[in-house]
Amino acid sequence: MDSGAGESIADGVARQLDPRWIPVQRIHAAISFAVICSASFVGLIAIWIASRMLAAGLLLLPVWAAAVAALAWHLYRWPAVTYRFASYRIDEQGLEILRGVYWRTITSIPRSRVQHTDVSQGPLERRYGLGTLVVYTAGTQHSQVKLPGLDFTVARRIRAHLLPGDEGDAV
Amino acid sequence: MPSDHRLHPTSILFAMAGGLKAFLLPAIILLLTTGRSSRAPSGSRGLGPGPWMSGWMPGDVEIANWQFWFLLFLIPSALVAVARYLSFRLQYEGTELVIRSGIIFRNERHVPYARIQNLDAVRSIAHRLLGVAEVRVETGGGQAPEATISVLHDTVFEEMRRRIFEGRARVVQGDVRGDAARTDTPAPTVAVVEPRTLLYLPPRELLLNGVIDNRGMVLVAAVYGLAWQAGLFRDVWGRLARGAFGPDFVRETMLMLAAGGVPSLTRIAVVLAGIVALLLLVRVLSMAWSWIRLHEFRLSRVGEDLRTQYGLLTHVTTTVPLRRVQMLTIRETPLQRLVKRMSLRVETAGGHGHGAPENGPKQPREWLAPLVRRDAVPALVREVLPGMELSALQWQPLHPRAFQRGLKPAALIAVATTAPMVGLLGVRGLLVLPFTLAWLGVVTWKQVQHMQWAATEDAVAFRSGWLWRHVTVAPVVKIQTVSCNESPFDRRATMATLQVDTAGGGPHRITIPYLARETAKTLYDRLATQTAQTAFRW
Repeated sequence: MDSGAGESIADGVARQLDPRWIPVQRIHAAISFAVICSASFVGLIAIWIASRMLAAGLLLLPVWAAAVAALAWHLYRWPAVTYRFASYRIDEQGLEILRGVYWRTITSIPRSRVQHTDVSQGPLERRYGLGTLVVYTAGTQHSQVKLPGLDFTVARRIRAHLLPGDEGDAV
Repeated sequence: MPSDHRLHPTSILFAMAGGLKAFLLPAIILLLTTGRSSRAPSGSRGLGPGPWMSGWMPGDVEIANWQFWFLLFLIPSALVAVARYLSFRLQYEGTELVIRSGIIFRNERHVPYARIQNLDAVRSIAHRLLGVAEVRVETGGGQAPEATISVLHDTVFEEMRRRIFEGRARVVQGDVRGDAARTDTPAPTVAVVEPRTLLYLPPRELLLNGVIDNRGMVLVAAVYGLAWQAGLFRDVWGRLARGAFGPDFVRETMLMLAAGGVPSLTRIAVVLAGIVALLLLVRVLSMAWSWIRLHEFRLSRVGEDLRTQYGLLTHVTTTVPLRRVQMLTIRETPLQRLVKRMSLRVETAGGHGHGAPENGPKQPREWLAPLVRRDAVPALVREVLPGMELSALQWQPLHPRAFQRGLKPAALIAVATTAPMVGLLGVRGLLVLPFTLAWLGVVTWKQVQHMQWAATEDAVAFRSGWLWRHVTVAPVVKIQTVSCNESPFDRRATMATLQVDTAGGGPHRITIPYLARETAKTLYDRLATQTAQTAFRW
């Protein structure tokens, strides 16, 4: 959780995302897992029957189970791993986002380049009181930069800080 | 109605022609090739009153049913065109351009002069005969032009340009601070500014450009496709197949080569002559294309704008305000290097759309200067980006081990290309491997040697390419975001990639790979700070 509403959020200190982001992502992962699981199971059965190798086909089942188990373990573990490697930092200059486990990226979005911002909330995020900050720039490759997994009020405070017109542009 | 303008009445025709263009060519060809009823009547195909219509046509032209339906489909587009013509109003208000359109769904679009990125006018032959122009107004947002106004009378366009230019000068005078792109005094508000020619391409240069530029092949393909459609080749190919130089000739030669045999001297001569003739034809076509397309090319500076004008058949006028230049790229192809020429392009925030704008054909932005003498480039760059001295840039190399890094993917590619050869030729295919490895090694070495970056107080530059060289310069005020990427391989070698994003797209971006991590981080911090300290102005 973040510090009180009194102090400025633009203190140049690297912050982690909200820890509640991990369960939210796990639920998202569980939904896609269920879809993948059932679809691949149906496909497996279809292949098994179509191939008419009923005895040999039985061997497929443990292979499938192992693959699914590995996927489940990965999907359960992954949100916590990405959480460790994601952080953001806000100072007078703007917003800096660090992320990526294997492919790591630092992106700097100066305040003076922010065109507009969104704070969006999906149904799950709303339940957990989280929000996604989307920062739009005039750029081409990074014309929108998303920062998910923020406490909703924090996201709105960052937005308020980034919005142009507040205490004048950094010229 | 002093400042209220409508479209030119012929816009209805142009709108319909635009809609037609997609099937116009096949339609004409079909009319030409099958319309004359030399074969079985085609009216029996499909439903429709085609045969009945044919009775009304002069001569022996036969209207097939599809042609009838085709004509029927024109009616809605004609109605739309008429409605657009009737409802369209263009107005100049204080500091903005107001475009009203629509009968049922009314649309009123306000485009502030200060936000206009560039103003282009395209005139095809038909446009010029009628004295009209298709006008494109581009602002930073979106991918398609903000407004494509087809078509306006020439005088209306001239007035529009004058007003937008004037209006902008007034707006700019209001707030001058924080714009590094403008160092001169603000343009006088009302006085007409004399255009100053920066580059003019005489016919000799245009022909040279044609020789260098490889557009000929496109033309050959187009002409070939057209002729094929029209059935011109059926006879030719038939004769060729019977004679000595038919497709069999090519095939036989290939087979002979593949089998390891040595073809006879005449065969070699014929093949070589054919290739040379084709290359010559392509170059001649390319020269003609360049001469027609870029006829009387003139780049001039009008006050604070860059204006290009060119074209023999389709006349194009583009206006790019200097302060809208997001990025500048200089290109040098091997052939250009041979004749000491370069080409220069600028990226603006508008017009880097994916695909064509909604209406009107795709018109990719031409180079700002398709062909410039190498020694004239620095002066031109100074003109486009005031205060930018190309010769003063201190180019920095990549990481010393960048070549070793680049070699690994190259080796993978070499192996991947050899694999099918082994499948095809057996063990002998392995002989290809040393050659591909050596070639890719040389290419990688040269590429890495030529990849360099430079950063100054107010710009960042990146150059790359061994045979095809590009130099891209982005002013710091135009940088949007800076990022520093590390792949797992980068991390093992303590390297990083620096990426600078601007509002201008373009083929060559500032993405500097294989930097030492500390260098990348330093540059990242520096650019991020510099960017944050300047205000971005469209």
